[in-house]
Amino acid sequence: MVFSSIPFLFFFLPLCLILYYLVPFKVKNYVLLAFSLVFYAWGEPIYILLMLFETLSDYTLGRLMHKAGNNTGLRRLFLALSVIIDLSVLGFFKYADFLIESVNAAFGTAITPLGLGLPIGISFFTFQTMSYTIDLYKKEVAVEKNYFYYLTYVSMFPQLIAGPIVRFSTVNEELHDRKIDFEGFITGGTRFLKGLFKKVLLANTIGSLWEIIKASAFAGDSGISVASAWLGALCFTLQLYYDFSAYSDMAIGMGRMLGFHYLENFNYPLSSVSVTDFWRRWHISLSTWFRDYVYIPLGGNRKGTLMQLRNMFIVWFLTGLWHGAAWNFILWGVFYGVLLALEKHLWGDALKKLPKLLQHLYAMFIYVVGFIIFVFDDMSQLKHYLDIMFGLGGVPFVNANLLWYLRNNLLLLILGCVVAFPVYPWLKGRLAVWINKGTGLMRYKASAVALSVMLIAAYIGLFFLTTAYLVNDTYNPFLYFRF
Amino acid sequence: MQNKDINKYDASFTAGMMSFGSVITVMMITIMILIFGVWFLIAPKKEFSENENRQLALAPVYTFQSLKDGSYMTSIQKYLSDHFPIRDEFMTFKTKTEILTGKEEINDIYIAHDGYLIEAYSEPKQNGKIINQFGKLYQDITTDAKNNISLMLVPTAVTVYNDKLPAAAPDKGDLKQLATMDTIYEALPEIKRIDCYQGLLAQAQSEKGSDNVSSLYYHTDHHWTTFGAYIAYRQYCEAMGITPLEESSFTKTVVTNSFRGTVYSKLNDTTVPGEEITIYENPENRLTVNYQDSEEVTDSLYNKDYLSKKDKYSMFLNNLHPLIEITNETADSDKVMVLVKDSYANSIVPFLVNHYRKIYVFDTRYYRFGPASFINEHPEVTDVLILYNMNTIDTDLGIGGIF
Repeated sequence: MVFSSIPFLFFFLPLCLILYYLVPFKVKNYVLLAFSLVFYAWGEPIYILLMLFETLSDYTLGRLMHKAGNNTGLRRLFLALSVIIDLSVLGFFKYADFLIESVNAAFGTAITPLGLGLPIGISFFTFQTMSYTIDLYKKEVAVEKNYFYYLTYVSMFPQLIAGPIVRFSTVNEELHDRKIDFEGFITGGTRFLKGLFKKVLLANTIGSLWEIIKASAFAGDSGISVASAWLGALCFTLQLYYDFSAYSDMAIGMGRMLGFHYLENFNYPLSSVSVTDFWRRWHISLSTWFRDYVYIPLGGNRKGTLMQLRNMFIVWFLTGLWHGAAWNFILWGVFYGVLLALEKHLWGDALKKLPKLLQHLYAMFIYVVGFIIFVFDDMSQLKHYLDIMFGLGGVPFVNANLLWYLRNNLLLLILGCVVAFPVYPWLKGRLAVWINKGTGLMRYKASAVALSVMLIAAYIGLFFLTTAYLVNDTYNPFLYFRF
Repeated sequence: MQNKDINKYDASFTAGMMSFGSVITVMMITIMILIFGVWFLIAPKKEFSENENRQLALAPVYTFQSLKDGSYMTSIQKYLSDHFPIRDEFMTFKTKTEILTGKEEINDIYIAHDGYLIEAYSEPKQNGKIINQFGKLYQDITTDAKNNISLMLVPTAVTVYNDKLPAAAPDKGDLKQLATMDTIYEALPEIKRIDCYQGLLAQAQSEKGSDNVSSLYYHTDHHWTTFGAYIAYRQYCEAMGITPLEESSFTKTVVTNSFRGTVYSKLNDTTVPGEEITIYENPENRLTVNYQDSEEVTDSLYNKDYLSKKDKYSMFLNNLHPLIEITNETADSDKVMVLVKDSYANSIVPFLVNHYRKIYVFDTRYYRFGPASFINEHPEVTDVLILYNMNTIDTDLGIGGIF
């Protein structure tokens, strides 16, 4: 089930919240668990067993690790078991066919691919459950003695299938004791609505323009031009950002309504000034996961430049691979690994001295090209599209279609670009200052009231528009489902 | 000092007002979600959407298999969006907003000049099959009618009214339908080509700048108007050496002024005005119209019951029937025609009946036995006309039934 759908928004979520608020605290986790399992089974009726298995194994190993006390050998054994089991399941279901096909391609063998479907959200919940056993080994979290609580943590529907990757340490205490209040409902609700609007009104609409441009690049007639291809790349960038960050907004918002405080996952990544900056702002829960559980255990930057470069390569290779079982994702990860290393050791300092605008353009160029690598898992299609973008496709620089796309979507594109920058918080701050600068008490109050009325009207208008789009039900994918 | 205090007080007032705004917002939206949820549950469910002219999704039936493969959940999703409260109003709201933000194409419909809503054209994927089927019809006929088979492919508004499309539209200045028509005509040299495009285009050009314009196509529907069909009828007569009747020989009647057709339904913008349907009747005709499937016999080419429904175009020849036998005692010849067609032809039949004593009208989407064998069993058939419009010819499943 996706959040931005009628069954979820008008039935699943209200029903879940009503029951959840009504029952006594002791039962709340069980209500949440029941709804989460239904939620998962809605999209994956069979593979739900896989999730139950993984959580049961990590829960048991966690208990055993706890029992082992100070016996480091045993603790290490249980951790190793947990990591091996989790990664094997992930590896088998996500990467087996990729491996088989790569072997076939390299050695000319003809092993039949297994043709397994990718269980929804497996990459996310595997990383979540691993964070528990690893942190437990490091003695950074307490052992969880209630299996159902542990399962509630992993399967909690707001973050189950597309992140953020919530670590056990983040919600550990709140699983047992949390404040569920009206303020949380309002703050969480507002956050959820923001995400919903972003997903339906920006991600889906800009995404459909990307689909049109992408199709025209492969149609073989004269539909594409260099500038359209760049516009398409920008559209996909915006689509992916809004899609994924909206999902995180909705997850964080619903978590808040349920009494949980998840960490932020995005911080206006498209407004970055460098590649390093971009990765501090994009999918934060994933990059910190790799930092804490791979990069630092490997030695990080403490063992000299050469080892650091090796560690960076490993981390970025894995980051790429995590996103999908295809070569383009690995290429995408390594692309960033190399750029980050270069930024760190070659031009990072020079970059900081450039005018801000140039720094933004530099970062923009890299992430837009990066997402094109990301979107084509067929290498020949990727090459074809990049050729067009860089003027090697033998197509004109501009064409009539470009004008048509702009005429039809100008407002949407401007809105999409503006909202991707921290304009809203800035505007809110400016308005507050402006209101308070006015003269006469009545006037401040009047403008404050007028402003909040406008805000209410805007939200309600957007809510109706969103519902209209959902009822019309045209184009509503969730990109990060694949990972 | 005092001033500073006021500022502090007002900053907190502003903040308080903003969070008061959030409370109101979230509470109102929560209430609306609950209202829509309950409304959905208690509202009676329609089975058929007149507006969209389609059967709405039925409540899904649970089976373990459908649960396992996920189709149960997909059906629930479909059922919910098909029966959502005030669905049509939501669609209008969406369309209106999109037009306001500068959209000139929505759901493959161009918002064209002069109030026309025009369907975009996508190049056909099954030209080969179409050519094959028409060729097969020709080959399978063994009677004299074989020498008198003609084909009329009718371009749609996207071609004839191309200059009404919004600037820079992908179909603007790119008359792909004509190329497709040429491909089909040229592949079938043994079938007589009846080109109505030039006539329609000349008419469209002559109307330019004139105030008193007769539309060739409906503003809100994918069909041509009776007048559009009349222009094509003159082209047919010219090609066949028949003297066409003048427009003045017909009694024109405006049968409705509130027609909103299929193209309208794709947008569902309820603020689009309804339009007229005009019919042309020759008072001299003595008609017997025999619907072979329902065994209904009337003396009119129209079923005016449809005028009180959404689907008003269906009044022409009483919507769709596999086989209709039309006899006109006052026709100016004894010739007998077999007409293999889609719904476009329903508008041209009132003109053709003046020259054929009998017309057998086949809709091969529903007629299962193949018109060729029918023609072979009826040696009195002198002419065969195949008439399709260019927009549905590619998607029309009935093409497979022509042989």
